[in-house]
Amino acid sequence: MAWLVVRLAISVSLFYTASAVFEDQVGKFDWRQQFIGKVRFALFDTHSQASKKLLVATDKNVFASLNSRTGDLFWRHVDKTGPEGHIDALLMYGQDAVVVAGNGRLLRSWETTVGGLKWETVLDTGSFQAAALVGVQDFVKYVAVLKKSAISLHDLSSGSQIWVENLPDSDTVQYQTIYSGGNGLVFVFGVVPNSHIVIVEYKIEDGEIMNKKSVEAAWMSSLESSCTVISSGILLCVDQITQSLYTLLLQSAEQTEMRQIHLQTLDLEVASGFQPVLTSTQPNPAQPPLSEFFLQLSPDHHILLQLKDGLIVPLRDFNPSYLAAFATSGERTVAAVMSPKNDTACSINLFSADTGRRHLDTTIIYHMDPNGGKPNRLYVHAFLKKDDSVGYRVMVQTEDLTLTFLQQPGRVVWMREEALADVVTMEMIDLPFTGTQAELEGEFGKKAAIQDGLLPMVLKRLSSQFILLQAWLAHLWKLFYDARKPRSSVKNEVNIDTLSRDEFNLQKMMVMVTASGKLFGIDSKSGTILWKQYLENIEPNSVFKLIVQRTTAHFPHPPQCTLLIKNKDTGLGNLYVFNPIFGKKSQISVPALPRPVLQTLLLPVIDQDYAKVLLLIDDQYKVTTFPSTKNILQQLQDTASSIFFYLVDSSQGKLSGFRLRKDLSTELIWEVVIPTEVQKIVAVKGKRANEHVHSQGRVMGDRSVLYKYLNPNLLAVITESTDTHHERSFVGIFLIDGVTGRIVHEAVQRKAKGPVHFVHSENWVVYVYWNSKFRRNEFSVLELFEGAELYNSTVFSSLDRPHPPQVLQQSYIFPAPISTLEATLTEKGITSRHLLVGLPSGNILSLPKMFLDPRRPEVVSEQSREENLIPYAPEMPIRDEWFINYNQTVSRVRGIHTAPSGLESTCLVVAYGLDIYQTRVFPSKQFDVLKDDYDYVLISSVLFGLFFATMISKRLAEVKLLNRAWR
Amino acid sequence: MRQMKRLLDVYVALQALFALSWCFTDADPGPAVGSQSNGERFKIEGRAIVPGVKTQDWVSTARILVEGEEYVGFVKTDGSFAVNDVPSGSYVVEIVSPSFRFDPVRVDITSKGKMRARLVNYIKTSEVLRQPYPLQIRSSGPHTYFMKRETWGWTDFLMNPMVMMMVLPLLIIVLLPKVVNTNDPEMRKEMEQSMNMLNPNPELPDVSEFMTKLFSKGSSKAGGGNKGSRSVALKRR
Repeated sequence: MAWLVVRLAISVSLFYTASAVFEDQVGKFDWRQQFIGKVRFALFDTHSQASKKLLVATDKNVFASLNSRTGDLFWRHVDKTGPEGHIDALLMYGQDAVVVAGNGRLLRSWETTVGGLKWETVLDTGSFQAAALVGVQDFVKYVAVLKKSAISLHDLSSGSQIWVENLPDSDTVQYQTIYSGGNGLVFVFGVVPNSHIVIVEYKIEDGEIMNKKSVEAAWMSSLESSCTVISSGILLCVDQITQSLYTLLLQSAEQTEMRQIHLQTLDLEVASGFQPVLTSTQPNPAQPPLSEFFLQLSPDHHILLQLKDGLIVPLRDFNPSYLAAFATSGERTVAAVMSPKNDTACSINLFSADTGRRHLDTTIIYHMDPNGGKPNRLYVHAFLKKDDSVGYRVMVQTEDLTLTFLQQPGRVVWMREEALADVVTMEMIDLPFTGTQAELEGEFGKKAAIQDGLLPMVLKRLSSQFILLQAWLAHLWKLFYDARKPRSSVKNEVNIDTLSRDEFNLQKMMVMVTASGKLFGIDSKSGTILWKQYLENIEPNSVFKLIVQRTTAHFPHPPQCTLLIKNKDTGLGNLYVFNPIFGKKSQISVPALPRPVLQTLLLPVIDQDYAKVLLLIDDQYKVTTFPSTKNILQQLQDTASSIFFYLVDSSQGKLSGFRLRKDLSTELIWEVVIPTEVQKIVAVKGKRANEHVHSQGRVMGDRSVLYKYLNPNLLAVITESTDTHHERSFVGIFLIDGVTGRIVHEAVQRKAKGPVHFVHSENWVVYVYWNSKFRRNEFSVLELFEGAELYNSTVFSSLDRPHPPQVLQQSYIFPAPISTLEATLTEKGITSRHLLVGLPSGNILSLPKMFLDPRRPEVVSEQSREENLIPYAPEMPIRDEWFINYNQTVSRVRGIHTAPSGLESTCLVVAYGLDIYQTRVFPSKQFDVLKDDYDYVLISSVLFGLFFATMISKRLAEVKLLNRAWR
Repeated sequence: MRQMKRLLDVYVALQALFALSWCFTDADPGPAVGSQSNGERFKIEGRAIVPGVKTQDWVSTARILVEGEEYVGFVKTDGSFAVNDVPSGSYVVEIVSPSFRFDPVRVDITSKGKMRARLVNYIKTSEVLRQPYPLQIRSSGPHTYFMKRETWGWTDFLMNPMVMMMVLPLLIIVLLPKVVNTNDPEMRKEMEQSMNMLNPNPELPDVSEFMTKLFSKGSSKAGGGNKGSRSVALKRR
């Protein structure tokens, strides 16, 4: 009860300090983009003509419904990450979608209009092989799921299991596919590699085995993609080595061998080393598939074939062609084929499936993005037009995970960049000045003032004021002009050429690096993608490091970013240098990196082109510099003695510090070994280089000053115990000076385990761990102070600090799980800090650092009240108002990037995970600009009121004086 | 205000529990802390209720999170849910929805699959305040993400203590001389007497000083204003 009262007191006292979003600020400076990931299954809702639904299941374990007219999400369900949420199959019938997830563990049926779950069934364990809808008498009633050793049939309307049967000889036979043609039977196909095919027939009603046969097939290794069922129950297989097609009638008792048809007899040949692929189509699961099928002979060669009276007839040869797909609308089945047109475009054409004839006027031109990847999947949505001809739209997925939805004659209806569902790292870069801004800046340049006299300076001043006036008038005119235009046409005007810095530097360029190797430049104000670049030959999901070498501040030199990437073929590091504003690759020659890079180091040393120097340390501790001009090498030689760096080897539990020598070789100066038998290093973090600390100390209640221990070289090292038993596990934190290797502080949390999230900034480290004894998350804060006196107030040197810092620590209960942690950052560090906590629910909590202050007293005293310290309460409050992203939740938030803006009060925040959310936060409220709700009406009415009141009272006074004079 | 309400709720819950504990004696001691099972998996079931809102309006955005994103479940179209494949242990079950707030519940599963639900208490983790199982989680209303803007109105202006402090003495100064006949010498004498009674000690701090002190504290209340204004009025006379 007492703590509740304390909490109440705290929340009341914080009513004025906490920042929050006002309802009218929604969408003013924040935006969210939702993604789904790489599409694995996509189905168009062909149930009704007007339906706009497109159901997709992706490799991010997301099942979603997209609006096929706009590309927006109707709804989205995000399952658990990893194999337990993996979507194995997606089937659709009518309004319902059936999803098999978690390696065949769960069978779910979704109501697609609402987006709610209809039913869910847990299946027996066993690795998933295939799933199919089963129909009886033109009506789809069941879904069959094939596991490694069992097959089960479930009712579509309730999910209840009709029957489950063990497969015969499942230890030797690999059962892989399933087929049902609506005739009351389910066929299961298995293969014994290089021996024979096993076909088992089950009766739908009770799961009785009707027939079981094995057919010789010595050439067969796997059924998947090389076998399919066509026509009324004919198994068709293709083999590359014998260059033949094989057919087998499923329901004939006499045929015990597959009939071989040499591809040569059809004048066809499979490209060497290519596994041919057969694609057939079964428009209605309750009816047998069509007798037409595609055979892919090489990566860019498809052929449409037909089985007619036991003979295979080629209908049309598509050479060259990248992709081919079937689609059905009503009774008509069509085939869409994408073939190259020229270097930059592909054409997609529609062919009727039963004859192979081309439909007239059905060409869609698909323009390939020169900075993107090749198309690799084609999904076709066919529909009947009013004149009964077939129209279609296509969705193309490319290697770089772009989804493009096109309609005739090549109009891009919408586009989604699904690579952004997996952002690895990002930076925010200032936009360049416009001409007028640059002019003004130039006027205040130091050089100009010295060279010119008084008069030229006055003239310059006047001219620049004139330019400003001109710009302002132009702006007014534009405003006036835009006001007359309709709203829709004014939008989307963000253009790469008109980008310029705004007054307070609030608009920036977000450079995002994604796991698939695609780079994006996004305007932070609107979220528009301004440039994109797909880097081929990159090992996906490897570590990237993005470094800003030159900012926009050095006009006319363009800004420069460097990305350290890992080559797919060689496995070595590679530097990719580009202009972050335009996304263009820079022409600067980059050093070759013959050895794996262990560490990168951005030095404040600047070459004549104002690019900061990047040091790359390889596994033999050799240093490569970039750029490596003479000037740089000279400067490095001069400063070499003060350049230190550290390396972490978590497999050996070793942290080592190195010093740079004059000849750019390195020298080991310290080594800290953390025994790997007991604990392993999980993470090492220094402080952010662009962080400013405004005040050196804190004023105490008795007017003395407690100085902060501001060591820029301090590293926070987090370790976790190797013993994971909940009684013995622990989390350790070491604060190590990166120059001397001295352990400044060491703390251990017993009965705790990871994952540990932590922030290291100013003089504090905040970390979160799981308390396995009490089963709760706990925050712990470490603050370091020099004491009441500064040892050397002018400069900090790690080598000369005789006194160890005073360390204060306090821990708190955090009543929610945590996904990620970051701290706000502002231009000068005057604004109070907030911690941004990403929660699994998708909310981002802005928690004042005030709550994480190890000096929070247990007993309130006069002094602590003077210092504005909140009394200690074990549980951290969470309030809805502190969620900076209100209902715009960010799924699976993985990282939060904070960047200072030109306004001291404002910090730019980007949260990324499955979604991207950008906003601004004001940790101490907007103290340096007029608030949004500033009441201009009130202030002006008061002014006018006072003015008139004085006028009237003056008049009255005059009258009174006159009257008195008369008396 | 909400805090107060919550306090009250907790109090009521406590009372109810107290009454309950008289009726039942809680026999099973609950599962061992963090016990690892022999691989058997269980199912957490329940129902989410948002009073007054149709289920199809919120089920597509809601998710069931067990212990963060350790186990995930989805809400059925009728509001019920099940989280499958959960080993024995103790978990916090949370329904997350961007529009509605649900309170989390702790679910304990024994190694034999016995389940119970209780209120989440992070401070006294072993305290058991039983909740119904299968879970019945009722939304406590929509999230209040937004702060209210301070709007300006005439009533706010008039009820402001500063304004009251200005207006009241003004009224007294203007009206009092009219009500009381100051020309009456008896009356005047009486008043002077009362003045002396009110202010017997001339060394008392001056009113202006008192006022400045009052303002500098910044926590002036309407009552204080009244008091101040009366003394002002009396002083002026």
